[in-house]
Amino acid sequence: MSGTDPAATDGPRPGVPQAGVKGIGEDPREQDRDVAEAPGKIWFRDLDEAVIEADRCIQCASCVAACPSDSIGIDEDEGRPTLVKMCTGCSRCWDFCPRSGLRYERHLELTQEERGLAEPGTYAARATDEAANAGQDGGVVTALLAALLEAGEIDGAVVAREQEDEPLRGEAVLATSREELLAAGGSIYNQTMGLGQLDELLADADLGSEAHGASDSRAGSETTRETDDPALAFVGTPCMIQGATALDRYDHEPADPIALTVALMCTRSFEHSRLVSRLETFDVDPAAVDTLDISDGELRATDAAGETLLETDVDAFDAAGLRGCDECADFVGGAADISVGNVGSSDGETTVVVRTETGESAWETAAPALETAAIDRPATLEKLADWNRRRAESILPREYDPEAGIGITYEHHRESYDGTDREPEPLNPARVHQYEEWC
Amino acid sequence: MSFGPAVVSPSWLEAHRESDSVVAVDVRDRRDYEELGHLPGAVSVPGDRFRDPSSVAAGKLPAADDFADLLAEAGIDPDDTLVAYGGDPALAARFLVTALVYGHEGSLYLLDGGLEAWRDGDDRSLTTDVPDREPTDYEAALCEDAPLVDRDAVEAAVEGDAVLVDTRTAAEYEQSRIPGAVHLDWEDLLEDGRLKSEDDLEALLAERGIEPDERILLYCNTARRLSHTFVVLRHLGYEDVAFYEGSLTDWVRAEAPEWDPVELQEQVRHYADNGGFEAMVDELGEDVLGRLKLIGLYHQKQRGYFMLRTRAPGGRLTVEQARTIGEVADEFARAPAEYGGPDQNPVFGDGYLDATTRQDVQMHWIEIEDVAEIWDRYDAVGLSTMQACGNSVRNVVGCPAAGLDPDETVDIEPVVERVSQRFLGDHHYANLPRKFKVSVTGCHEDCARSGIQDLGLTPARKDGKDGFVARVGGGLSDGPRVASDIDLFVEPDQVDDLVAAMADLFMDHGSYLDTAVNRLRFLVAEFGPERFREELESYADFEFVEPDEVLTMDYRGDHVGVHEEADGRSYVGLNVPTGRMGGDEFAELAELADELGDGEVRLTPNQNVLVPHLTDDDLEALLEDPLLERYSPDPGPFTRGIVTCTGREFCNYGIIETKNRAIRWARELDDWAEQVGIADDHEAIRIHMSGCSASCAQPQLGDFGLRGEVYRDDYESGRAADLGLGGDLGNDEFIDWLVGKIPIDDVPDVVKATMCAYDADSEPEESFTEWADRTSNAELREIVTERPARDSPAIGTEVS
Repeated sequence: MSGTDPAATDGPRPGVPQAGVKGIGEDPREQDRDVAEAPGKIWFRDLDEAVIEADRCIQCASCVAACPSDSIGIDEDEGRPTLVKMCTGCSRCWDFCPRSGLRYERHLELTQEERGLAEPGTYAARATDEAANAGQDGGVVTALLAALLEAGEIDGAVVAREQEDEPLRGEAVLATSREELLAAGGSIYNQTMGLGQLDELLADADLGSEAHGASDSRAGSETTRETDDPALAFVGTPCMIQGATALDRYDHEPADPIALTVALMCTRSFEHSRLVSRLETFDVDPAAVDTLDISDGELRATDAAGETLLETDVDAFDAAGLRGCDECADFVGGAADISVGNVGSSDGETTVVVRTETGESAWETAAPALETAAIDRPATLEKLADWNRRRAESILPREYDPEAGIGITYEHHRESYDGTDREPEPLNPARVHQYEEWC
Repeated sequence: MSFGPAVVSPSWLEAHRESDSVVAVDVRDRRDYEELGHLPGAVSVPGDRFRDPSSVAAGKLPAADDFADLLAEAGIDPDDTLVAYGGDPALAARFLVTALVYGHEGSLYLLDGGLEAWRDGDDRSLTTDVPDREPTDYEAALCEDAPLVDRDAVEAAVEGDAVLVDTRTAAEYEQSRIPGAVHLDWEDLLEDGRLKSEDDLEALLAERGIEPDERILLYCNTARRLSHTFVVLRHLGYEDVAFYEGSLTDWVRAEAPEWDPVELQEQVRHYADNGGFEAMVDELGEDVLGRLKLIGLYHQKQRGYFMLRTRAPGGRLTVEQARTIGEVADEFARAPAEYGGPDQNPVFGDGYLDATTRQDVQMHWIEIEDVAEIWDRYDAVGLSTMQACGNSVRNVVGCPAAGLDPDETVDIEPVVERVSQRFLGDHHYANLPRKFKVSVTGCHEDCARSGIQDLGLTPARKDGKDGFVARVGGGLSDGPRVASDIDLFVEPDQVDDLVAAMADLFMDHGSYLDTAVNRLRFLVAEFGPERFREELESYADFEFVEPDEVLTMDYRGDHVGVHEEADGRSYVGLNVPTGRMGGDEFAELAELADELGDGEVRLTPNQNVLVPHLTDDDLEALLEDPLLERYSPDPGPFTRGIVTCTGREFCNYGIIETKNRAIRWARELDDWAEQVGIADDHEAIRIHMSGCSASCAQPQLGDFGLRGEVYRDDYESGRAADLGLGGDLGNDEFIDWLVGKIPIDDVPDVVKATMCAYDADSEPEESFTEWADRTSNAELREIVTERPARDSPAIGTEVS
């Protein structure tokens, strides 16, 4: 029974992996195998080939969070997931990757069914205090999170902040005070991979010693919540929220600390070094850029004094974008408790969609800190969401089907993607992190 | 070729770039080149295409043909002047050095300051237009005078033959370096991304003793950074500069005290009385946990606690050793209260140990505070944990009935002992690219499983002399491979030399740079068995000959039961289901062996134990001992065949819990087998269950091979297993993985359904493996997937 299994296939068909042999290229582990591999078996290298090498990774870090043996880390230089120790072949990275094993549209559908309010609330809002100036478009996220922190509903919030030493490069931080939230206000346009860093962020934060630790309402006790049972708000792009909520749906540990999810509406993320390089070709000094704002198809960079440094069609920045973002139809972040963005409301206001009971309760807690009104142009939001979905469907090599099963098998992925410009690329050993940890 | 490479300024390029024979080469990612723009006229040769750790070419060099294809595709001619640039100047320099090594004839230049310096000039915009260059028929071959040096040259440099320069960071240099190397961080040659002035550079180099009339040898970790220093030195007119391409990881480690097992053991002993785990990690750093494997300590899932692996070469223990191991487990392998204390495990309680498939003994919950005491007790009876794990010659597996079997050809004990002693505590051999597994069998039944070892020896004969024939490159886990016979006969006293030769070959050819695929089996596969044999011979100090006759006739699954010895006495193989027993029980077994046997206990590769040298009276007494009710020489077929790894209980990697589950299944399945009347048809039904893909339970060898997984549907996820059937090492056959992700609780029913199908379908006298081999994978897949729903009895018999 060595090698491939002749009974299971009529010889190799193009676009369909040979039964019992995985992957593409010439990986020595797949050559002349003396054991045929199980159907559907996934190693991280399969994900690497299908998503990362194929330049489709959206840096949501779901795989990093999903790996039960912490074998997937983040390559600092390339900003992408990479194996840092032995892979056990458990498939979980694949199962939770919105670009491979996780049919994200099905996940959105199921989350809606299970957690969605019958009537989601849609608002135009602005903060009533100093948060209005710190955050973008009305400072609603900052005000909301600060109110929840101060009410003891959460112990901290995972948000993005610009790195001190690298202009425009976002990093994930765990903010545990109003001051820290204010410091992190404003949008970041590259992925932070914060979902893969929750453990480290929690370990560094020392939540137990915070004076305003949230009371553990679930246990009905008055005691300060301990570091080993924290409640965090998690703010991120729609794909990060897809990963976080999918892990939560299956009760996977990495999602345990997340008590509230806030999605930042998003049409695409940028790869940091390409973004910087692109700005430079417009003679804009990235270090001088204070805010980057994308609305109505225009990208605008302003400096600290509010002076416009650049205003141009966002398409000119296509080359800096993550190509995998093109396959996303979830502009609004449909899996989140609350989504925020700027589409459909006036300047200085935030468009907010409150989608779940958890979101509603958070929204009510923060009500005193917010001014809310009916959304200005509700149709605009829907139109953009529609456009986004149609575009994604036209680019997505596989079918877009919210009613199909949530899992996409390796074989199915290959059938849909092989032969397209998004097909798997062989693993390149030169790019593989050389780890030295095995069992 | 003109003298070079050299560094040129952006204005030089500006002045010369119109020439057709001056080609700018962009080494950034292809997508950056295409979409972000590049120098007008530049071609793309991405760094990740000319750096290849896995090719047979030295270090990170690509194969010559691959490099030629890359340049041909870019439209480069052999006599073109090439100007390399990128985001990373070292990578651009690396391109030039690669071209130099492969004999490029034109000049080679590095663009000073790279892309950024270019853009800073007037009107030096970028373009996304790809130049229209015709592909060429570029040919590349390793230059005879390429500035590459081998390991011997580096060793000579250490002796004062040349100036050895370490181009890594100061921190890396401080941590460990080659003796006598001077330090020159490659980035110290730069200021704001541009090359420093010649005066500054000369002053800096003079200060380090790097003079133009000396012979200079450069090294770093992966030959990228040294490339930049190489280009700069040549630019400054240094004539005799060369570099070491491979990684010196093994060498650096062989010099570094923290990678010396003997030294490491002393360090850990120190912390036993001085602050324990936390102090150790604080002072030595978190990465000490990886190195501790070298001395048999494996950090378990629960922080601060270790699995301790004790080696038993050939599985042989004196009763004093066995008693000591049992007592140590009973005393120290105890869970703290927060992890359940005496009730940590519902089946095994507390204070237990595990016999392994490599004839080691493992125990858990060991703390740094305990190890000095444990090692003292071990030293007193001649036990060791050194190199039981880590990248060295692992515990040598031997035929457990060596010296007992009436039909054996060679007594392997002295061979096993000599190999074990030769590498124990040897710093030089303690840090191979990866682990190195050796087995020796003296009987005719391949008891020590040569097919899955890096080097497996089984009996053979040459010119009337008894010895062994060698097989190489076997292994399981990711990329399983059956060992290749290389038709090599060795005499018993040559075996340790052969192991050393293979270790030397491994260090030279096994990659320290492509760490995911550097087990010896990948090297054997890459060379092919014949060339591997030739290479191996060049490392050995004896001539290679072929055997006249090989003597392996059969394959033996286990040693359970009562067997006759050559001298008329008996040995008893006791079944230890999943290999786990109480430390107190193991000590008790040692007492029995002392009292009734002849001072010896043995461990088998099936996670069982064996008590040799029993007279008829002693045998009877042993068989009546209550300990044998649980560790029976005559167990049910499933209990007899169960083998598992440590699993999720303690292992960082384990996806599923194994030991308790397997014990439960084995009992339940044996009851079922009795009830349906198949129990007597089978001596053993082998279920091998590994918690993950690492194959610690050798699932590829089982009748049923199981490997931990997870499954998920739209609404729930859970633990699962991949399943394969009919492993048969006697015929060099591993299982194929037939079905993935069977929910774990369904597995017993799958086993039952399969046994029923075998029962119904097999010919008289046809074994399970023969049946599984004859039946197509498609049919087998149908049997295991078309199983009756859970909770409904399999074949008319209810199992409680």
